[in-house]
Amino acid sequence: MPPVLSGGGKSDTMTVLEAQHIRKSFGGVKALSDANFVLNKGEVCGLVGANGSGKTTFARVVSGLLARDGGNLLLNGSPVNFRSSLDAERSHLAMVHQNLSLVPEMTVWENIALGREQRDRAGFLDNKSAIALAEKAMASIGVSISPHVRVSSISPDEKQLVEIAKAVSKDPQILLLDEPTASLDFHQVEALFTAITTLKARGVSIVFISHRLWEVAKICDRLVAFRNGETVGSIDFAQSPRDESLIVPLITGQAARARVRKNRGQREGEMQGFTTKGASLEVQDISLPDGRLSNVSFSLRRGEVLGLGGLQGQGQEEILMILAGYLHGYTGRIVVDGKPATLRRTRQAIKRGIALIPGDRQKEGLFLEHNVLSNILYPKISMHRGSFFLPRRKFQEVASSAIQTVSLVPPDQKTVISQLSGGNQQKVVVGKWLALSPSVLLLNDPTKGVDVGTRENIYVIINELTKAGTSVVLYASDNEELIDNCDRVLVVFEGRIVKEMAGDEINEEKIIVSSLNVEHTQEGRAST
Amino acid sequence: MTGSQRLKNVVQDSSFPSLLMLVLLIIVNAILQPGFFTLQVIRMNFMTFTPLILVSLAQATLLLVGAVDLSLGAGISLITAVMASLMGNSLGSIILICLLGVATALVLSLFNGAFIAYIGPPPLIMTFATSTVWFGIALVLMPTPGGHIPESYYTSYSRMLGGVLPVPILVLLIAIALCLLLGRMPIFRHIYAVGGNEKAARASGIKVELVKVVAFLISGVFVAIAALCVIGQTATGDARSGQGFTMNSVAACIIGGIAFSGGKGNYAGAIMGGIILGLLINIIYFANVTSFYQVFTKGVIILIALVIGAVPRLRRELARR
Repeated sequence: MPPVLSGGGKSDTMTVLEAQHIRKSFGGVKALSDANFVLNKGEVCGLVGANGSGKTTFARVVSGLLARDGGNLLLNGSPVNFRSSLDAERSHLAMVHQNLSLVPEMTVWENIALGREQRDRAGFLDNKSAIALAEKAMASIGVSISPHVRVSSISPDEKQLVEIAKAVSKDPQILLLDEPTASLDFHQVEALFTAITTLKARGVSIVFISHRLWEVAKICDRLVAFRNGETVGSIDFAQSPRDESLIVPLITGQAARARVRKNRGQREGEMQGFTTKGASLEVQDISLPDGRLSNVSFSLRRGEVLGLGGLQGQGQEEILMILAGYLHGYTGRIVVDGKPATLRRTRQAIKRGIALIPGDRQKEGLFLEHNVLSNILYPKISMHRGSFFLPRRKFQEVASSAIQTVSLVPPDQKTVISQLSGGNQQKVVVGKWLALSPSVLLLNDPTKGVDVGTRENIYVIINELTKAGTSVVLYASDNEELIDNCDRVLVVFEGRIVKEMAGDEINEEKIIVSSLNVEHTQEGRAST
Repeated sequence: MTGSQRLKNVVQDSSFPSLLMLVLLIIVNAILQPGFFTLQVIRMNFMTFTPLILVSLAQATLLLVGAVDLSLGAGISLITAVMASLMGNSLGSIILICLLGVATALVLSLFNGAFIAYIGPPPLIMTFATSTVWFGIALVLMPTPGGHIPESYYTSYSRMLGGVLPVPILVLLIAIALCLLLGRMPIFRHIYAVGGNEKAARASGIKVELVKVVAFLISGVFVAIAALCVIGQTATGDARSGQGFTMNSVAACIIGGIAFSGGKGNYAGAIMGGIILGLLINIIYFANVTSFYQVFTKGVIILIALVIGAVPRLRRELARR
């Protein structure tokens, strides 16, 4: 392209990567509907957006891990169609995965060289030059990890740095970094930025995906914002100030403000109605030694729906896992119905009336090849005490009433789970805990990959349960669900609760702003 | 690397517990078996150890890639049956039939490997099915032990080369050389990667299916050499000659520190595991355990070996808690 045209600031730059109207759906769920993106030579371009806005999907489509449904991808002006990550690497485009591409039992240098082993003239492994390559790649991004240690024995942040080194060792012209800083601390982020600046000076073009807006504002030359799978805007830092508060409206959008919970007043009345005063669940100063949670405290009233909001992977799932007895080794106190509880096993949690409805239903929630009846009854059977034989007739009644409550289609106890639709599978997951009438229900993103109708249905069931006095802790990656269903919302950021909002205060903009923790980081940096 | 660091590496190696066990068993065996360290006894011992070690190497290759092969024993049976029913007395015939045996081994493992890699059944069930198929064919070829193995062939297996090097040891040295050679080839690293984390291997651009097939072919090479040794040892073709090799080889690998889940362990562990199992059988024999209790004792000792092998892992998990 001739660098002569006057006018816009971009005219003297060369476009290396351009995505036009990229579309991608997963089984009817649109992840990307109209993604547009331009990357210029030697620049760092940020990619921002809320949960589920399609950032990671976009990166995977570009790097050849996913096939797109429509749209064009241009590399140096000519259309490309990568069929695998190897294909993309041949065109000097590399992506840093989030711990996807490391083999734990191999050493750091073996991992960096994996798939592209150096060979000597006889075709044998040339370990010396592979080690040298790994050392060089790590040195170039300022990492000092011994190349001889096994990946299984290094920390998560070191793994992330090894991932980056691995991508850099491929000598890419375009580098996609998908949340590379998620597991890094402040100094490591600084080191990474130095590395990014070095790469940039060498002419490498970089796409930088991050939830931390201050990082984006600091390192990027430009940024592009996605919302609901669409490109909604961009900021060129050559022309506008590096100010995080300018980025937020791009991510949240305007329509978001109007959304508030409809039946708020009615709910307050309901909760007052329960005679048992006090909290049904109290969590005091819960921390995990590895820092995934620090000093989390909250209490839950009877019949209340408490939402956990924030970006994905900030510790919300850990809170639920601790309460459900999956994660031991936490410190702090948990009080259930006024009595302190030790939750070291799932069984103890179930006994105290705490039930977890998992996010990945196929993995944790269901026996796919068993029928509806036995799936609904497993918790009941495992907690059964008393008679030697199981009361078959009684159990069948329990199951059929559960099937009615969740309105399963078809309402048949003998259907094998794998033959049900995703939505109906999720109904069974909910239904199996109803048989135990839990006092606290933990929901881990219960509507992930579920259609709108079933989603409504599940929340109707939850609503019914709260009327009967069940308390609910709901983690949802979709903010709308939190707004629609919660009496209170706690926003979690890097293992801490950074914001609590209740009743009419809850709206999407507030959730997103506190999720990004903009005010906080600004204060934090001002004080350091 | 400093001396203490090198020592630490040895201690932390996945096959370190089996090394300790090996030393212990050698001591016990030396006490029980008269003349344990004489060349003649070593030759005798390795005539039985070598086939088991070779099958363990075959199994190790597959465990490392994240598979397992329950048809190795039946495969050996089939190979011996094929060879014994065709072999003649001339040198040309012996060489030709040996090559045919190797080819048979490769075809069997190629079938298993390609089926598992491209059609995708669990290796455990797939190779269980083929094991009965191989056994069935072997039974048709040779309903009772027999066939013809020329004297010149089987006497050479028990020969002492130059008066100092027993042939079974020579075969073992060749196998070890093969292992060392493999260790220097890219494919070997890819086998570890596929067994350790298949997704990561794919993301790194490794052709996962091809690696699985090659792993099966490598195991086929070891099986072929093992079958040649078995014929030399038994001097007949026998549809039951491979019995026992399959599960013994899995046990040997696990004792040698190779993970059943794949991607962890090494050939040295498999060799040690094979020798350990051989010594165990020896000890039970020379300790005059009644034959009724031999099988029982062998099982108990394997259980103990498994516990010893699990100690480092258990200790690590306790420390984490």
